[in-house]
Amino acid sequence: MSNTLPSSVSGFTPIPVAYSSSCTHILYATAHKNKKKLTRKNKSSTLPDERTLFLVNVPPDATEREITQFFNPAGLVERVVFEGQGFDENTRVESENESDSEEIEEESESEGGSDDENHPRKKRKVTKESKPAAPEVKPIPFPTLRTYHKTGGTAHVIFLEPSSIARALSPLSKPRPWPSDSEAPSGLSHYKALYASLRPPLDVVKDHADSYMESYEYEQAKKKQKSKHKKGEAIVDEDGFTLVTRGGAYGKTVGGGVGIASKKFQNEARRGGSGKRSRKNKKEPQEKEDFYAFQVHEKKRKELIGIKERWEQDKANIAKMKASRKYKPY
Amino acid sequence: MTAIHKRKRVKVEVAPSESHKPEKRPRKTKGNMQDGSNVHDEIRSETRIDITNVQDDDGLDIQSQESGEEDEWIGFGDEESTVREPKPEAALDSQHKSNRPPTALELRDIKDASNLYRSSSFKLQIDALLPNVRPKYHRVAPLERFLHGLHACLTSAPPTSPISPLVASKKLRKQGIHVPYPLPEPTEDAKWTVAFTKPVDIVLAGSWANKLSVKSRDAEKYMVDVALEMPSKVPAYEDAHTLLRVWANQRGYGRGSRMCVRGFEGSGQLWAAVLDLLVHGEDPSHNALNGTVNKRKPVGTGLSSYQLFRAALDFLARSDLPGLRAFVKNTNGHRFPAGDYDTFDAVLVDSQSPFNHLAGIPLGSLSLLQRDAKATLEALNESALSEDPFNEVFLKEHRDIQTRFDVVMRIDLNSAKLRNKSVHTVLDQGSSYTMLLSTVDSTLRTALGNRAKSVTILHPTSQPWALSDAPPLGSPVIFIGLILDTEQAFRLVDHGPAEDSPDPEAAKAFQEFWGDKAELRRFKDGKITESVVWNVKTSDERAHIPFFICAHILQRHCGIPEGQVQHWQRSFDNLLRLPESITSLYQAEGVEMGFKAALAAFDSLVKTIKGLDDKLPLAVLNVSPASDALRYTSAFSPIALPDSVLPSIPYTAQYLQPMEIVIEFEKSARWPDELRAIQKLKLAFFEYLASTLMTAVSGLKANVVLGNPATTPDIQDSCSLEIKTPQGWVFNARIWHDREAKLLDTAIDDKPHIPAHIKKKLSEEINLKGRQIATEAKEVYLRRFVHAPRHHRAIAALSHRFSAFSGTVRLVKRWLSAHWLLDTHISGEAVELLCAVAFVGRGKKVANPTQLVDVPGTKERAFFKVVDFLKDWEWEGGLFVPLYGDDQVNDTETALAAPVAIKGAAWTIATEFDPAGRMWTSHGPDPIAARRVTAIAKATWQCSLGVEGAGYNVATLFTHPQADYDILIDLEPSVLPRYSQNLHGNIDLREGRSFANAQRSEEIAPLGFDPARMLFDDLTRTYQDTIKVFYDCLGGDRFGIIWEPSVTDPKPFRVMNRFSSTPVRKNDEQGKDKEKMVTLNTESILSEMERLGAGLIKTITQQK
Repeated sequence: MSNTLPSSVSGFTPIPVAYSSSCTHILYATAHKNKKKLTRKNKSSTLPDERTLFLVNVPPDATEREITQFFNPAGLVERVVFEGQGFDENTRVESENESDSEEIEEESESEGGSDDENHPRKKRKVTKESKPAAPEVKPIPFPTLRTYHKTGGTAHVIFLEPSSIARALSPLSKPRPWPSDSEAPSGLSHYKALYASLRPPLDVVKDHADSYMESYEYEQAKKKQKSKHKKGEAIVDEDGFTLVTRGGAYGKTVGGGVGIASKKFQNEARRGGSGKRSRKNKKEPQEKEDFYAFQVHEKKRKELIGIKERWEQDKANIAKMKASRKYKPY
Repeated sequence: MTAIHKRKRVKVEVAPSESHKPEKRPRKTKGNMQDGSNVHDEIRSETRIDITNVQDDDGLDIQSQESGEEDEWIGFGDEESTVREPKPEAALDSQHKSNRPPTALELRDIKDASNLYRSSSFKLQIDALLPNVRPKYHRVAPLERFLHGLHACLTSAPPTSPISPLVASKKLRKQGIHVPYPLPEPTEDAKWTVAFTKPVDIVLAGSWANKLSVKSRDAEKYMVDVALEMPSKVPAYEDAHTLLRVWANQRGYGRGSRMCVRGFEGSGQLWAAVLDLLVHGEDPSHNALNGTVNKRKPVGTGLSSYQLFRAALDFLARSDLPGLRAFVKNTNGHRFPAGDYDTFDAVLVDSQSPFNHLAGIPLGSLSLLQRDAKATLEALNESALSEDPFNEVFLKEHRDIQTRFDVVMRIDLNSAKLRNKSVHTVLDQGSSYTMLLSTVDSTLRTALGNRAKSVTILHPTSQPWALSDAPPLGSPVIFIGLILDTEQAFRLVDHGPAEDSPDPEAAKAFQEFWGDKAELRRFKDGKITESVVWNVKTSDERAHIPFFICAHILQRHCGIPEGQVQHWQRSFDNLLRLPESITSLYQAEGVEMGFKAALAAFDSLVKTIKGLDDKLPLAVLNVSPASDALRYTSAFSPIALPDSVLPSIPYTAQYLQPMEIVIEFEKSARWPDELRAIQKLKLAFFEYLASTLMTAVSGLKANVVLGNPATTPDIQDSCSLEIKTPQGWVFNARIWHDREAKLLDTAIDDKPHIPAHIKKKLSEEINLKGRQIATEAKEVYLRRFVHAPRHHRAIAALSHRFSAFSGTVRLVKRWLSAHWLLDTHISGEAVELLCAVAFVGRGKKVANPTQLVDVPGTKERAFFKVVDFLKDWEWEGGLFVPLYGDDQVNDTETALAAPVAIKGAAWTIATEFDPAGRMWTSHGPDPIAARRVTAIAKATWQCSLGVEGAGYNVATLFTHPQADYDILIDLEPSVLPRYSQNLHGNIDLREGRSFANAQRSEEIAPLGFDPARMLFDDLTRTYQDTIKVFYDCLGGDRFGIIWEPSVTDPKPFRVMNRFSSTPVRKNDEQGKDKEKMVTLNTESILSEMERLGAGLIKTITQQK
């Protein structure tokens, strides 16, 4: 194999990475562009256009630290945002859905760019919802363990200086060795560490759970206060309209308002043909089917044709199976 | 019914007139395939009368055969229509335009087909089958010539004067002919003589002359019977006879090169005789001993072939075959009185000859015949119409001894020597070989008593021998197949006559029969009786008692040493055991083992938890088991290893599988109304439960286990409580909170009342990812808390109901794991459902499943039934297993829904509670793995056929072929805590010997730590679109990897390529095109795998 890498592949610069003398991994890099998405709110602040490098085919076991070190020669790295950052198994589905709904262009460049922007944004949203800023929650300490990403995945590297991008994209004369982070174990030691970290001491679990519940209750109480309304009380707005809400956990509306039928009830009603309609159906006079002689004839005729059709179908089936020599028992 | 009869009669009338111009008719209606049948029938009626005419009509016969004699009924209908409207297009027309109602004739045919046969398609299938199993009569000319020659020779031979038998045989020997005198051979002073006189008449008889011949299995030659003439006056007689013989041949009641049931070799006419009995009824005047029994009346003559076939099966299934005394009604009376047949066990004499068709058939064979008839009737009666039993009844071969019998033994008769051998009995039986086999039959049946439902001797049929040779002695190797009554088969004691029995001979006979096994014993109830006691140490051995009995009896009465009686149960047992050295080590430490002990440990844990009621914030409502170790179906029997013994046990044998249990608390309004908070509250509960349990039970250890945040979403149930009891049992408890389901539903779709099409418009900012996560969390919730405990109860019930079920599941699990599919591709629950098929059947049953005739009595037989099922299963169509029984479900007509395609899921196995059938198969097998299962089942089946030959080895069924993998990854066995479960592994390593000094006492494997599985999961997830990984989850130390076909070729570069690639180097001139092309970076991927498995992986081998 000739050792010359092409200088560009579909607009991406291949960066050879040496893991060992015999093995070269290829990173594909390009400058990150926000293009279309600029119109949307708060985008540029997340991934600054001018100093973000977009990477494809990140090694599955790469850590933020390793990437930072690897690009050190090009400049200081502020942070690394991995694809999806969270639940690996969902990224694919999501990206597919996105390309469906948002109609991303087929061009790989823009696809890559737009695709990646979404993850951090979403991630952020999710975390905001899940953890109401309650300083009291005591986290369960988690050691620095590698997170194995899917192979061929992407990442954004945000440099401190915009000038680093050009340096990072300049072709390498020979593969640059990968800086392995010795603090994050791999292989068997990784699994042992992971096993241990998932079984924290009981007092840590207790502290975490208790503090979480405290903060949760605090948030709930705050919400309740905010809504000013008490359980079961009708909420009447300035115009005199009463707010109607669905029943809460145990038939009572949590945040106030007048309760209506539970969802279950509604679903059932719909399944069996919702209330009104079913009553209507019953009353509707049924068309008499066997009233006129022609109806009877027609019915019989149809039946007979049906019989014949089935018969012919059976015959065709058997003939087909016969052709495949199925009826040679031995 | 009368319709067919009438038509047939008309046909007979028509026949002679038409047969004069047979050449024309086929041409006239060319293209009408049904036509020829009539011609054929006409010819047949003629040939029946005169053999010599066959040759004349030969050419014509060819035509009739080629055109096929199926659809006989249509042929007739068409014939009439051709009379009225001679245009063949009319017939074609009516076929093409099906929107025209059928004509009266057509309708009659259709109605007949569905009324007289099981269903119309059944009738069509019968018609398709028949021509394939009949000889081609147009090819008989050479045989006819031979028969004429034989006739001429016999009638023209000059008579000889009477001479002594020895002289006669010497004379013939000179001409190269061996005379097979029956034993004992005549001696010089024999008082009788032999002579030859010209026969008065020679009649070619039997099924050949009657055109009743039916093809035998294994391309055995047609036999030209020489015994009796079978007049066939009943229209459907011929077809019924053919069906019956096909049925019998498929079950080994006939000739064949594979194992056939003893006694049916020359019984070609038995089937005709059975039909004869049905058609003519029993002779009322010919009363046997039991004259009170109702005599069988003749069945009507208007029956269809199918109905007659069914009637025959019904006769075989319901009459007491082993004690049968049946004489077919004969207007001329029988030649011999009934009393003359008293020496036979079973008698069936037809109307034409004095021959007893059941002579020479061992009673064991008859009882098997009876069972088979019952099973077939069951299949015809019970299976839902959607499931066509035709295949099962006529097309599928049922001779495979491994699925037919609960216990199979291979016996070498070479050293056999009968204990009681009298010349008279040998004379009676004809030869000492027959004598030997009949002794085997009778002694085994006596010894097994009600333990076995049938005892069958099988061997290949004897081959024809040259005139010049002595007849062969009979197969030196026979097989014995037992079908057990599982209620009785494994009892430990057989009682004989009491000590104070009035008949002193009885005790003697008992002792004579059992030999040194018989002993006088006093039992708990104070009785003192002769008895035979079988001492067994383990439950495995208990399943061998029927074999022990057979081996003992064969040795005692037939002089067959135990070494010559081969059986394979032990080889199968060993597959489910850890190496001897490991088990003895466990035993030496006195640890608790086995399913019963595990269940007892579970019960006591439940008691402990419920005892903490006043200390817990909420009362515990239920603790449900959901683990195969608690329902008798884990491949290995569960084991408890207390911490104290771990240091003295090798690292590779320290693995403990936690048993899943589900805790349900009383309902309470105190649970938060938010999914994440619920998970956190579970943590709090677990922590509390853990500390309370540890203070309540000293020596108990409990740990809260978190879900891996990298792979488990925070709204999904993820945490659990790991409990290790002081005895060393490990449980993994989870909390079931039913509010989760509703909250997840809301997360998936918070506006269920808004129709989908409106929602689509609204959905600018739906959180697709959140919805996806919630859907998955809901799936986990349903599987873990709703279905798993219910499945557990159903499977546990099956284990109790069928003694062989547990062993079957364990064997099948071991088999699938040995072929690198269990757990990783096929869930254990799916395996349990598949195994249930062998016991409760498939599809909806009308009747109570306990009445199933054909329930396997041993795990070995059921194992092969499952393999047999898997090899033929067209999984695209799905499967319904009536696991829960009909009464459990309010019948909502849970018809098999058309399988919904899910990526990566090939199988649908539905039950009453899971009509979609994806609960246990949504995560695999994918089509690739599913095809593998089929291929492996086929290979295993093929291999298992070797049981009929010599040198059959069970281990080969469990050896996985590895040549097809692209990459093999070898793991370091010494770091795998469950390596001792490995089926083929290095025995030293499995026993921890070679590194015993280094590892023992130094490192203790963490509870349930399975690094191989963790690596497997990571590889599978990381390279989801690049590779497929396979390995044996039971102690496997090797991964097999295949590349996804989609990644092996160069592709244009895309951001979402999803595989590690390297640019295609510019070697060619078309550099421009190549610029965008990338190809799989194999080197880099292998090196990544090496990093992922550092310390675990020994070597990576690229095979391709």
